[in-house]
Amino acid sequence: MAYEALDFYDVDSLLSEEERMVRDMVRDWVDEEVIPNIEKACRDGVFPDEWRVALGEMGVLGAPLKGYGCPGLSYTAYGVICRELERGDSGLRSFASVQGSLAMYPIWDFGSEEQKNYYLPKMASGEWIGCFGLTEPDYGSNPGDMITKAEDKGDHYLLNGAKMWITNGSIAELAVVWAKLDGVIRGFIVEKNDPGFSAPEMKGKHSLKASVTSELVFQDCKIPKDRMLPSVKGLRGPFSCLNNARFGISWGALGSAQACFNSSKDYAMSRIQFDHPIASYQLVQNKLAWMLREITKGQLLAYHLAQKKDAGTWIPEHISLAKMNNVDIALEIARVARDIHGANGILDEYPIMRHMANLESVKTYEGTHDIHNLIIGRHITGIQAFTRNA
Amino acid sequence: MLNHQLVKLKHEIQFGQNRGINMNIAVLLKQVPDTTAKITISGGKVDANSVSKWSMSPYDEYALESGLQIKDKTGGNLIAITFGPERTKKMLTDAAAVGADTLVHISDEGVRNEKNSFYIDSTHIQKLLSAAIKKYEANVVLCGKQAADTNSGSTGPGVAELLDSACVTLVSEVNYLDGTFTALRPSNTGTEKVSVNGISVFAFDKGSSELRRPNVRGIMMAKKKVIESITSEDLGVDVGDLRVNLDSQTPPPEKAAGQKFEGAEHVPIVVLKLRNEANVI
Amino acid sequence: MIFTILAETNGTDLHPTTYQLIGSVSSMGCKSIVICPNGIAAEEAANIEGVEKVISVVGDCFDIFDGGAWATALNSVCEGYILVSATPNGREISARIAAMRNVPIIQDIVSISVVAEDQGITVTRPAYSGKAIETLTISGYAVITLRPNAFEAANSGNDAPINVVNQSADIKISIQEAINQASERLDVTEADIIISGGRGMGSIDNFSHLEKIADIVGAAVGASRAVVDEWGMPHRMQVGQTGKTVTPSLYIAVGISGAIQHLAGMRSSKYILAINKDPDAPIFGVADYGIVATWEDAIPALESALSELQA
Repeated sequence: MAYEALDFYDVDSLLSEEERMVRDMVRDWVDEEVIPNIEKACRDGVFPDEWRVALGEMGVLGAPLKGYGCPGLSYTAYGVICRELERGDSGLRSFASVQGSLAMYPIWDFGSEEQKNYYLPKMASGEWIGCFGLTEPDYGSNPGDMITKAEDKGDHYLLNGAKMWITNGSIAELAVVWAKLDGVIRGFIVEKNDPGFSAPEMKGKHSLKASVTSELVFQDCKIPKDRMLPSVKGLRGPFSCLNNARFGISWGALGSAQACFNSSKDYAMSRIQFDHPIASYQLVQNKLAWMLREITKGQLLAYHLAQKKDAGTWIPEHISLAKMNNVDIALEIARVARDIHGANGILDEYPIMRHMANLESVKTYEGTHDIHNLIIGRHITGIQAFTRNA
Repeated sequence: MLNHQLVKLKHEIQFGQNRGINMNIAVLLKQVPDTTAKITISGGKVDANSVSKWSMSPYDEYALESGLQIKDKTGGNLIAITFGPERTKKMLTDAAAVGADTLVHISDEGVRNEKNSFYIDSTHIQKLLSAAIKKYEANVVLCGKQAADTNSGSTGPGVAELLDSACVTLVSEVNYLDGTFTALRPSNTGTEKVSVNGISVFAFDKGSSELRRPNVRGIMMAKKKVIESITSEDLGVDVGDLRVNLDSQTPPPEKAAGQKFEGAEHVPIVVLKLRNEANVI
Repeated sequence: MIFTILAETNGTDLHPTTYQLIGSVSSMGCKSIVICPNGIAAEEAANIEGVEKVISVVGDCFDIFDGGAWATALNSVCEGYILVSATPNGREISARIAAMRNVPIIQDIVSISVVAEDQGITVTRPAYSGKAIETLTISGYAVITLRPNAFEAANSGNDAPINVVNQSADIKISIQEAINQASERLDVTEADIIISGGRGMGSIDNFSHLEKIADIVGAAVGASRAVVDEWGMPHRMQVGQTGKTVTPSLYIAVGISGAIQHLAGMRSSKYILAINKDPDAPIFGVADYGIVATWEDAIPALESALSELQA
């Protein structure tokens, strides 16, 4: 049965023909290849390699980047791709977000011509997977005080330190690693076979199980001089990447919410209790109507944000608002969906708790909910409230 | 050389043998309400405006994939042809995204109207399609065995008759080798392989290959493709008298309430009901 | 009004649908001319009530099935309304004859009647995969195909004259190769009829009984999740929340209780027949026809009733 996404205000009718066709391409693929296999991938804790190949073949990796073999689509199309992927699974969308916004994008924006020509085409085709090394065990919301260090040794750089919570790490060919060179944050491309580099997988996750999450460990890791990204210094580098990824997530979370809504509606219409479908009871209708309300609001938020992104009239705070809101409501929707499904909701026959567990991660990564709140608070008041320092 | 260029070159070398024949492969496509979409009936007619999703008729997808595979092997020009209102152009663009070269939209303006209750007999549509097939000088015609809205199946054989050509129906595969088209169709004992003389129409049942997925590159190129929109006048076709009137379209009769029977002795009665009441066997 | 019928055969005898075609014409108070392609069963046709005359058409062009050749040969002896059974071959020949004669073609009708004062005929037919019924009025002659088993059959008891006519036509199709494959059973997503088994079947071996029924009516065989998980039935047969969602015309659920997860996969079937020994099984809540019985009692009965029907 082809998937029909909730679109109460016909927001998708505003998409261009190209964006609609991209949507349908990804949606059909998710229906055919992801939905039938996701629960097993989740149980086994693996990211199926076939999905990497398919995403490369469809040409959706690095969606909004132009040139160097990249798709060159609008940001709106990128958002649509994220939404359709995350309707399948947040881990699947995380793979694409990391690949496109966190690994390809910094090379595309801050790399040398040689670096762009060397890495981007193979990343766009899915042949090479990339990952993004910013977060450290002790530096999450506060990346500026990171301790991973790069030293200039004349004919090479030496990296020391560790990164944590890195999606794709163990399966990646390359990592875009942010480290301090003489106290200034710079970007470095580390390849998997560089001496002194390892990427062990983090096991035991209850969330994003169909996604690879790793540590990146640098023990006197030697990389050639031509691996530094020349055109950016400081936090602007990683934050530019995060802005793009967060934008994708603001759409992606809606996909997850829509999947939970669809399942809840179908379940409520079929589940008979006290001789009537539970969809006929007021408390259940209230929940479904609330879900529709939040999804509709979230869609409009995401769509307008995409227009501003494509027009270049956006600021990071716009993205913070959408990411924060849409992930927050998606998680609440997943929880309420579980409630509607009753005991059945805990089984992986239904996607609900998988989405719910995934969204716990999505709410924390790419800037926690609270941090985005403070970003907006700072925007309103001009006063930063992240730390006690002035 | 960049990787994707190498892949394309390898493909060209691999399939070089049969190339250079400038074949025109016509594929007849129909846009129908998606088979999962609900149909709303109001005022005695199906409300086309209420259809939530329009799609390429499923059997036509198999025909299109077959056409693309023939084109992959022999080169040539895949001509996607449809008859219908403006909204059918989107389907042609979707066909372009997977590789259709020429997109032909035969407009229903002036042909389908209130006078004939928006109903147009298949024979009329066949005249338009055959004229287009002749205009674009097709060497072979592929189509689905029946459309998912009418479930009729007249188009393939009817078009063949107007082209004075053979028609092979219920095919699962069509191949081209050294000037001859062959097809697989069902036989009394399983499957048989047939070959045809001259230009032929092949009407597809479920094919051996599913329609390929588009990719972003195909979508972006499809966006730029011009759709040639023509009228019955352009084709020089007068469809003729309108002798069929669509009196009404109504929902199927309400199903009766469920009937429950105790004991296996009721099986024969139920089987008769399945035939006479439900008409499902 | 003149009605010509193209006889449908099963190789040597008339197919029951031919009787139904003749019956449909009789129900309008008219007689039919019956055309027998390849000369098959002309005598049988002449014995049917309501037949005015039989034209037996013989020629080389009937050696293999080439719709164009058959249509060309038969068209010459057709007149008036041409009625054919809506079988795959029937549909093909009809479309060609209609195009040849430049008359309308209406396929797969389920009812037929004459408009007052012979102004034309009115037919109904299903459309949109059965989601709508169309009523059409045709003025002037046309080619019409009739859905099998939707019309009452005529009886025997007649002795109409038979004319033998020779016809030829070019055959453009040639058979290269017969490929006799072991017939693969239909997949649940493709079949118009599905017979599914659940825990109530007792063991995976007992599914052979369901397969026999599937073979009789050309159905696919499905299974509930329990049977797939616990007895190792192939996953592609699973119907339900984590299996396939199916929309056949007829879903027969045998020994399936009807848990919500299974219903999710087959609820949209046009008609549901449930067979279960437990009268309180939830499946009876969605079934159009329910039989409270063990599969051991019901399935053999179903097998013989269906075989009889097909004969």
